[in-house]
Amino acid sequence: MNLERVPNEEKLQLCRKYYLGGFALLPFLWLVNVTWFFKEAFLKPAYTEQPQIQSYVKRSAFGLFVWLVVLTTWISIYQMNRASWGATGDYLSFTIPLGIP
Amino acid sequence: MNMAAAGEKGGSRPGWRSLGLCLVLLAALCRGSSVERKIYVKLNSTAPCVRLLNATHQIGCQSSRNGDTGVIHVVEKEDDLSWVLESGPDPPYMVLLEGHLFTRDTMLKFKESTRISGIAVMYAKPPPPEGFSPDLPCPNDGFGLYTDQRGAQYSHCNKTLWNPLGSGMSYEDFQFPVFLLQDENETEVIKQCYRDHNVPGNGSAPQYPLCAMQLVSAMHAVTSTVTCMRRNSIQMSFSINPEAVCDSLAGYNVWSTVRPVNSSGFLAPEEQVVVSAARLDGRSFFWNLAPAAESTVSSLVTQLAAAEAIHKAPDSQDLPRNIMFTFFQGEVFDYIGSSRMVYDMEKGRFPVRLQNIHTFVELSQVALREDSSLWIHTDPISRSNDSVNVEVEQLIDVLKNSSKDTNVTLQEVDQSQALPPASFQRFLRARNIPGIVLTDHNATYRNKYYNSMYDTSASINMNYPSGLSKEEALNYVTEAAQSLTDVATLLARTLYQQAGGKDPAQIKVDEKSVTRMLYGFLVMSNNSWFQSIIRSDWKGHLEDKPPQYYVTATSLGSKPTPNPPTSFLISVLANLTGQVVNYTKEECQSPDKATDPQRELYEYIWVQGPLDNNTTTRSPYCVRSTLRSHLAESPAFELNEWDSTEYSTWTESRWKEIRGRIFLVPSHQLEVITLVVGVIVLLLSFGATYFINSKAHILFTSGAQEDASGTY
Repeated sequence: MNLERVPNEEKLQLCRKYYLGGFALLPFLWLVNVTWFFKEAFLKPAYTEQPQIQSYVKRSAFGLFVWLVVLTTWISIYQMNRASWGATGDYLSFTIPLGIP
Repeated sequence: MNMAAAGEKGGSRPGWRSLGLCLVLLAALCRGSSVERKIYVKLNSTAPCVRLLNATHQIGCQSSRNGDTGVIHVVEKEDDLSWVLESGPDPPYMVLLEGHLFTRDTMLKFKESTRISGIAVMYAKPPPPEGFSPDLPCPNDGFGLYTDQRGAQYSHCNKTLWNPLGSGMSYEDFQFPVFLLQDENETEVIKQCYRDHNVPGNGSAPQYPLCAMQLVSAMHAVTSTVTCMRRNSIQMSFSINPEAVCDSLAGYNVWSTVRPVNSSGFLAPEEQVVVSAARLDGRSFFWNLAPAAESTVSSLVTQLAAAEAIHKAPDSQDLPRNIMFTFFQGEVFDYIGSSRMVYDMEKGRFPVRLQNIHTFVELSQVALREDSSLWIHTDPISRSNDSVNVEVEQLIDVLKNSSKDTNVTLQEVDQSQALPPASFQRFLRARNIPGIVLTDHNATYRNKYYNSMYDTSASINMNYPSGLSKEEALNYVTEAAQSLTDVATLLARTLYQQAGGKDPAQIKVDEKSVTRMLYGFLVMSNNSWFQSIIRSDWKGHLEDKPPQYYVTATSLGSKPTPNPPTSFLISVLANLTGQVVNYTKEECQSPDKATDPQRELYEYIWVQGPLDNNTTTRSPYCVRSTLRSHLAESPAFELNEWDSTEYSTWTESRWKEIRGRIFLVPSHQLEVITLVVGVIVLLLSFGATYFINSKAHILFTSGAQEDASGTY
């Protein structure tokens, strides 16, 4: 969908849907929201719906950031310690690498 | 017209490209592409070292996932080591190691070095005269009778070190591939490649291209049996595409009785059985390479011969006590077979119970007797019980009595000496059974090559004069055959008398059959005798080389199939102790259909049969015998006690492929230049395509337009 051709109200609706959708443990929706609406929120000349879109984009970005931090931390901890966790490490794993502890 | 031609050309370009792509893919798919054959020389006769695991450790070798590659360097003497370990300019090295240097010390040096990518060991001919045993100095320690809890004064071979030559190398963990080169011609090809390209001239670095070797033996399992079995079970329960990482070592024990025993019932408590035992497996540093001549086959063949002799005795069916011959599988790996049999006897899943065992006679290594003396080993702990002691004394008397007119000098070892590693130890762990172990050694093993690749027919004096045909060799009586015939006679007479027989002098072991068995079990299984007695569906096991006695792993969750030596043993034992019955093939393979009321007492095998006169067809027949096979998988796997200290926990890792090849490698400089040039050409072609594409209307259309205008 080309945002250029969408009326501002619909833009707001879309941005809102993506923002709310992200709460269903879908950080990728927030990522899409941020990249898609960044221009609309911050670079376009002001229009009525812009402040609301701005706030949705900011919140999405914050949520995305939190997800990023949490995931990065967990993945680093997991990758570094999986072997030493032994059985727990194996039970936490979806695929177990072959031939390494 | 030209427009159409241009269009066609444009259309055909992607066609050519996809065809080219297909060719590349095809070449990648079929391994036999000529380019590959021009670059690589495959190594065909190799034996890899693979990873095995127990409750706490991993042992063996593994390469990295796509194999390890290194420049070949031949190490023939101690001095060559410094080149690969320190001074050589082109690490990592793939060491072509002279068999005599294949020692624990050298291997540990390689293990510590980062300049080694793998080892290819040359088979030493003749074998190292000083001896070579990669097994432990104290084999099967901790799983026999003597542990820290009981008989602690004898544990860890405290008083007698059985295998002092043992380096324990088989029980080390190596993080690089180690292969054995079994074929001299192939070794020569590698050496020639080394001499042509890699020999350092006057201490200076050799010039590229250099001859390199790649060895692939990437293992899936890791750490311990606990870990790999856990991963197996996770894989089985969660994964969409389950892939086990290790399998337990398992196979079949073989046992047979002189009088038939109903396999679904039990012996009455008052019925007594004299048990004779031998082991059925061996190992070496390398996978599926275990000639095991002295360590296993010597006792196996002796016991088979004794079984034949007793079965031939006219009164064998009327003896007061029954005699049971057992062959235990997987004994090298902490007594897999015997521990399973004892476990099943205790659980009431075996027709014979421990209480039924009257006496136990085990044959350990018996082929290398010095001054014809055979040693009687007994267990000092159980003999401290008076009643057991009396029976042991009686058994020894019977033995001595039986040895009178044979060529065997029986000697008793010091009574305070512990038993050597033996299956009998697992029985004694469960119950005080009077019994003895017969060996050719008093204290330390006389076998210089215990559990190594050099424990071959030659090591037990089976020497054949040159120029014998296969058929002549099969029946050529060697020194070893004569010597084992004597031991077998002694064993047979002893068992006969222990079972209550009165006339031991009539028991005679057939030297010819010992001879043929030795040939089949140690030199070549594909001989006319084995061919005529093998169960017909096992004929594929016959090979023109010695059988290997490695116990082999069994795919998780499936029933093991007998490995080749077990199938030979079953066929030979059936032939020696069974009777021919005139069943049809169908009746023989599923005896339930037969009308014989005694069919439950016996096992039936359909034998390939001898060649008909001067033709290639065979006349198969059915053999009925009392022999049974008994699943030999460690109870630890049935109990899911993967960290058991009571039962064997050995597993074998799985792997995807094992292979080796040699090829020439260019210098790193040349490799980098090639890569860079390639990348530059690629980028240039991108640029050119982009340029041509963007200027297409100038480059092509105008000409076409001109043409077009000319045509119209």
